[in-house]
Amino acid sequence: MRIDRTHRAWAIAAFVMLAAAAIVYLSDTLNAPQGPRGGSVVGLLFGILGFGCVIFAALLGARKRVPTWRVGRAQAWMRGHLWLGLLALPTILFHAGFHFGGTLTRVLMWLLIITVASGAFGAALQHYIPRVLTAEVPLETIYDEIDHVRALLREEADRTVEALCGDLGLAKSSTEGIERAGGFTALRPIAGAVPLRTSAAVSAGASAAVAAARENIRLSQEEGAPLRIFYLNEMRQFLEYPGKHPHRLAHPATASSSFAALRTLLPGRAHGAVADLEDICDEARQLARQERLHHWLHGWLLVHIPLSLALVLLGAVHAVMALRY
Amino acid sequence: MVDLTIDGKPMRVPNGTTVFEAAGMGGIHIPTLCHLQNQTPVGVCRLCVVDTGARVLSASCVRAVEPGMKVVTHSDKILHARKTLLELLMSDHPSPCARQEQSGDCELEGLAKAAGIAEARFAKRSIARGEDDSSLAIAVDHDACILCDRCIRGCDEVKDNFVLGRMGKGYSAGIAFDLNAPMGASTCISCGECMVSCPTGALTNKGPAGTAICAGPGTEIFEAEELLQIPVFRGVSGTFLELNRGAIVKRRFRKGEVICREGEFGSTAFYMVEGRAKVSLSAPIAHVKTQGGAKGFFKRLTSTLVGREEDRRGEETRDRTIPIDASVDLSYGNPVAELGPGDLFGEMTCMNFYPRSATVVAESDIVAYEMLRNVLDIMLKNKAFRAQLDETYRRRALENHLRGVPMFADLPPEFIGHLKERVELQGFAPGQVIVQQGDTADSFYLVRIGFVKVLENYPGGEMVLAYLSRGDYFGEIGLLGGGDRTATCTALDHVELVRIAGDDFRDMVAKFPGVRAGLEAVAAERRAANQQRLQRVDSVPIDQFLSQGLMEAQSLLVLDLQNCTRCDACVNACAEAHDGVTRLVRDGLRFEGYLVATSCRQCRDPLCMVGCPVGSIRRRNSLEVIIEDWCIGCGLCARNCPYGNINLHPFEVLSDDPQNPGRKKAVIKQKATSCDLCTHLKEPSCVYACPHDAAHRVDPKSFFAEMLGGSGAK
Repeated sequence: MRIDRTHRAWAIAAFVMLAAAAIVYLSDTLNAPQGPRGGSVVGLLFGILGFGCVIFAALLGARKRVPTWRVGRAQAWMRGHLWLGLLALPTILFHAGFHFGGTLTRVLMWLLIITVASGAFGAALQHYIPRVLTAEVPLETIYDEIDHVRALLREEADRTVEALCGDLGLAKSSTEGIERAGGFTALRPIAGAVPLRTSAAVSAGASAAVAAARENIRLSQEEGAPLRIFYLNEMRQFLEYPGKHPHRLAHPATASSSFAALRTLLPGRAHGAVADLEDICDEARQLARQERLHHWLHGWLLVHIPLSLALVLLGAVHAVMALRY
Repeated sequence: MVDLTIDGKPMRVPNGTTVFEAAGMGGIHIPTLCHLQNQTPVGVCRLCVVDTGARVLSASCVRAVEPGMKVVTHSDKILHARKTLLELLMSDHPSPCARQEQSGDCELEGLAKAAGIAEARFAKRSIARGEDDSSLAIAVDHDACILCDRCIRGCDEVKDNFVLGRMGKGYSAGIAFDLNAPMGASTCISCGECMVSCPTGALTNKGPAGTAICAGPGTEIFEAEELLQIPVFRGVSGTFLELNRGAIVKRRFRKGEVICREGEFGSTAFYMVEGRAKVSLSAPIAHVKTQGGAKGFFKRLTSTLVGREEDRRGEETRDRTIPIDASVDLSYGNPVAELGPGDLFGEMTCMNFYPRSATVVAESDIVAYEMLRNVLDIMLKNKAFRAQLDETYRRRALENHLRGVPMFADLPPEFIGHLKERVELQGFAPGQVIVQQGDTADSFYLVRIGFVKVLENYPGGEMVLAYLSRGDYFGEIGLLGGGDRTATCTALDHVELVRIAGDDFRDMVAKFPGVRAGLEAVAAERRAANQQRLQRVDSVPIDQFLSQGLMEAQSLLVLDLQNCTRCDACVNACAEAHDGVTRLVRDGLRFEGYLVATSCRQCRDPLCMVGCPVGSIRRRNSLEVIIEDWCIGCGLCARNCPYGNINLHPFEVLSDDPQNPGRKKAVIKQKATSCDLCTHLKEPSCVYACPHDAAHRVDPKSFFAEMLGGSGAK
């Protein structure tokens, strides 16, 4: 979520609440002979308010599990989650009088700090990464489909090279015959781009138009040797494990120079296929980038969510124990 | 009698005999292309030239014999003249032509080869005259035509059909059907006489794909002579039947046997000769409804099948009948009917390759002719067969169709009877314009078979207003509103219409003010809806915008990729709202920083509506697609949608168990669904559930207005 002007109302409300709480806290601190205490009326009010903010923030997870319930737009819940979650930290600090207390309260305080910090970090990532993802990964696909698309890319590259150099002796999978990898978002041009069906085509019972088949060019063994070596020793490894090891095809500039060098070793009639291979590498590189960005985009939740749950649980224990004993 | 000498051979022939005929009598062969036995000689190809001692060579086919005439048929001078003519003809002829490829007997190419012409000396024609592929039976290649006129004389003199003639002059001269109509749209009855008369590949037999129906148990394949003995085939060209042997078979079905099933694809039609069959729909007559299980905020949405008695949707049709591909319609409440001798079913499947619209089961032992498209096309042009079908239609279905027009529902039986006699049944070939925008309105039409595309031109473009299928009607706006057609209606496929002439229509609206009021209300509603649509139209020549089809859309689900964290909350919400079957995939085309997600776009040209075998998919005036209760789940609309925005939702329903008569068993039936914008809720679930303010349902023109330079803003 982008933190922009649309958050202004929530930001102002949170700031006003914070200011009001600070005034109340200062007034209470100045008037209380023993200083601020969590067990005082004001301290308890801060505790209830702070824990309420934590509970509300935690309820976002529950809200997402029932997306069709008409209990407020998810967007409003998310904004509330962000700003009230942030507000929870100073409120709880006011509740505790900036003391960490005993073991349980100390743990709770650190949990709260880390949870809020991880949340703020996550919000910053979610503010920044979608823009990067959109700009740098135009061939983005659905995250769960990445492995599948990657397999299709490998097979497509195999076919392209085998069409020029003959059988490479690589294992074939059941997806043999698929012309072009990539989902709907595969923006690489398809040879003889498939036009959308027209009513005339539909009425004639015709199926979708079919892209024209590429001309079959076979290189001699000597001519095809550089391509064969490059593909088997470099490109296929990159396609199989694109992000695993540092690889010169993993960077656009070095990849471009690699392909430029390869072109100089091959006859002109193979250059179209080399351009295809370069496109495939580019898509594989983008998918690897998408994978990395996706991990950043959602990886922080692995810290944030368990800590939030622990915070709610221990917070409830603390409330019951403090009120009862 | 006349005495003459041909190539030194004395002969005596009757007065009036031509030199060509006389030579033939004497066993002397003179080559020709334009002349054929039983046709009036015209002497246009000049290949049959002979030397009669006159100043110039004479065309023997038109030169009558004279007493004492000395004729030379083969001299160096004659052979040279013939060779030059052949070279000229070959320079104007695609070689090998279709006939030479099919059977190797193109007369022109045969003669050229015999004359030793390997390559013409003269330049090839630079202006192509084109091909005509509109007939299902005969392919026309105007470029291969040598203008010998044998086809014209075959059509006029041999068959008395008078369909073919000449058109154009000079390089553009050629043969024409009627007033230069496409052959398939002309009055040609596909007798095949022109085709067998043609010496080249200009007119060739197309033959259907596969050419023969698979023979199996209970199947008889006919010879042409046998077929011509059957009453309904009388008048059909024997030549054509000979060329299409196996494209029609006699089938026997035992009682209880399924002849065809709804939703299956096929390519044949059945003409019943004996026995009775039950035609029915096994799909539940209901639509998919998504609703909450409990009231209040905490709604758990579920999708169920409900009929229109339980859930009346906005602008849902009030039709009492379900259109199917047979001579009868089915009743909404009890979708079962009977077919008997003389009934034809499967016409749409056969002619247009649409899925079967209903299940037909033999109720007694049945004999039926099963035929492929080219045979059915010929049969439909056969006057006797056509008359029989029309009579069956008038008797069994026309009244229902007329009463299917809501305003006609309450017309007195006498007037319906009067209309039944007065209406005209018309057929249109694919692409043929039925009415043209701006023309004078002279008729009201009811669609009997096929799909009609209604298109309105506006400055800078055109927009598809509707696809009309069986039971729909058009033409009332022009007749009621001042006389001019307001839209162009075109046959999208093989279309048959019921035409009510303007005078009868006006008579009806004058006699029955209720009908007039009803029609005027519908006309006003249609005009308003069309106006509303056109107001949204603005030509914005942005390549990418257009190439991605965004221009076609009325409403888009767009994801702002700069806000979207790819959390899939929208997809989960959609699935949650529709029993786990999502109607949204977070993938699709990108435009600028937006992802146009895969969900219904309410296109301007809604291809999903073309071909529905039971006419159950249409759109409301709001442009939202509505799928009527009698969807049979064949999936054609889902396949036709270029954007993959229609899904099939499976439901478990109880159905008759064929193994255990009288008992029911659970079967899975599918219903087509598309994004319904969660109309039962205030906001689409996907948009409502997006926590990042990334999902928006928008009108593309206004939403993208800024990027498009503001010209599209409305």
